Amino acid sequence: MQRQRDGWRELLAFRGLARPRLEIGIGIAAFIFVIAVWDLITRLDLIKPQFLPSPGAVVSALYTMLTTTDYIQDIAISIGRVWAAFLASVVMAIPIGILMSCYRGVGAFAVPLIDFVRYLPVPALVPLTLIWLGIGESSKIALLWIGTFFQLVLLIADDARRVPIEFIETGRTLGARQFPLIKDVLFPAMLPNLVDSLRITLGWCWTYLIVAEIVAANSGIGYELWTARRYGRTPEVFAGILTIGIIGLLSDQIIRGLHRRWFRYLS
Amino acid sequence: MADRADFIEFRELTKVFQQENGRDVKVVDPLDLSIAEGEFVVFVGPSGCGKTTVMRMVGGLETPTTGDVLLDGRPVTGPSREKGMVFQSYSSFPWLTVLSNIRFGLRYRRDVTEAEKDRIARHYLEIVGLAPFSDFYINRISGGMRQRVAIARTLAADPLVLLMDEPFGALDALTRERLQLQLLGLRRVERKTVIFTTHDVDEAVFLADRIIVFSARPARVLKDIEVRAELPKDRSLEVTELPAFRRLRREVLALIRNEESMIETTEREILSEQ
Repeated sequence: MQRQRDGWRELLAFRGLARPRLEIGIGIAAFIFVIAVWDLITRLDLIKPQFLPSPGAVVSALYTMLTTTDYIQDIAISIGRVWAAFLASVVMAIPIGILMSCYRGVGAFAVPLIDFVRYLPVPALVPLTLIWLGIGESSKIALLWIGTFFQLVLLIADDARRVPIEFIETGRTLGARQFPLIKDVLFPAMLPNLVDSLRITLGWCWTYLIVAEIVAANSGIGYELWTARRYGRTPEVFAGILTIGIIGLLSDQIIRGLHRRWFRYLS
Repeated sequence: MADRADFIEFRELTKVFQQENGRDVKVVDPLDLSIAEGEFVVFVGPSGCGKTTVMRMVGGLETPTTGDVLLDGRPVTGPSREKGMVFQSYSSFPWLTVLSNIRFGLRYRRDVTEAEKDRIARHYLEIVGLAPFSDFYINRISGGMRQRVAIARTLAADPLVLLMDEPFGALDALTRERLQLQLLGLRRVERKTVIFTTHDVDEAVFLADRIIVFSARPARVLKDIEVRAELPKDRSLEVTELPAFRRLRREVLALIRNEESMIETTEREILSEQ
């Protein structure tokens, strides 16, 4: 039997074995390291505070925002926008993506159109969504939807295409055809990859949220961030960035955790 | 039940694949062949000769370019539960347990009740000796066990013909031997018509009632060998020691070697032309 390498050696071995606790510890240490360097820079006055406030100033700004203003509400509004647009994208992208990969005709029709829209920079569409939908919630959600749907639908089509042909042929020789073939074979086979695609696109959704809220909004994290900049309140700008980062990190970890739990059979 | 002599019938079957450069490649020459009900037929031939394509046309997974495949008197038009297929790999579903995979073979059957389906699935689970592993996911079991799952699942679907495309090709020698014996044991109970492809000449002679040796591409029947006329009906490992077994093995091997050397000649000719 091969002797087990100790944890630290394993971490630097090429494709070494997993060491979950140690890896989480290192992830936390990375944050502490960056914060420590940041703190040191501000303590030594290497950069002026209006450009780089100290970590302490950012945390106290965040605390003040949370306790004395409606910042919690802004966070809730932003999360609501992201999820409304994201769910709309998901609900549409899953069936369309699957059909695009299963039926060549659908793919031939949809792929060029989707590729065209996909390469348009989302900010370029802001004026159009404003003209069509005004400055209400719908224009922001539409913008986020445009930013995510066209990416997601192609990812999902790829996930469906990567299902091994043997699975499909096995299903067919056991009597599955058309919809049952998709429901009972293709979909469960692609599901782990699909959840990963969703996780990645959810991140993009946040990117476009800030664009939408900066350009046309009077609420939300992006709006607060932009307002703080206008009045030169750099700690609040940092607090806004911090909020988005934390939400992103949390939702990513939650989806990863669910992935591990749901798809335990892959291990 | 009377066994029909032309249970599966190939009638002037041909297959031409179009390559990406637009050139046509003839994979199957006009093929006429009959397979009787309950027969265990093994297709052998040089690699890439088109034997798998012929089998896939029986399964309805490829469409003939011209001609027909008739199963029980009716032309094959597409895949269905009547034509069960066991692939070399990747065919058991990783998101289902061993038992659920076998149960999946019954999912689209309308001739049995749900309770019956549970019973039949358990029956095949036990027949292939996987009862202790019924709740295991596919990634947790060995390659040999995965192929047993695939075989049990296909049999549970109650097909007219069992198509096995190099099912033991990826297994180690000992596992392969064990599965061959299990398959023969299953056959004594089930009496299904089987078409089986393999690269392994020993495997072919050991399992077959009849061996069809195909030529290099385009596939043509080089020889149709009645193995059952020379080997006992009930096969055990001792059969491999019999002179008749060795003679058959030598004969098949010689035919394939000869074809392989012709492929090499053609390859040399292609090279010298350039």
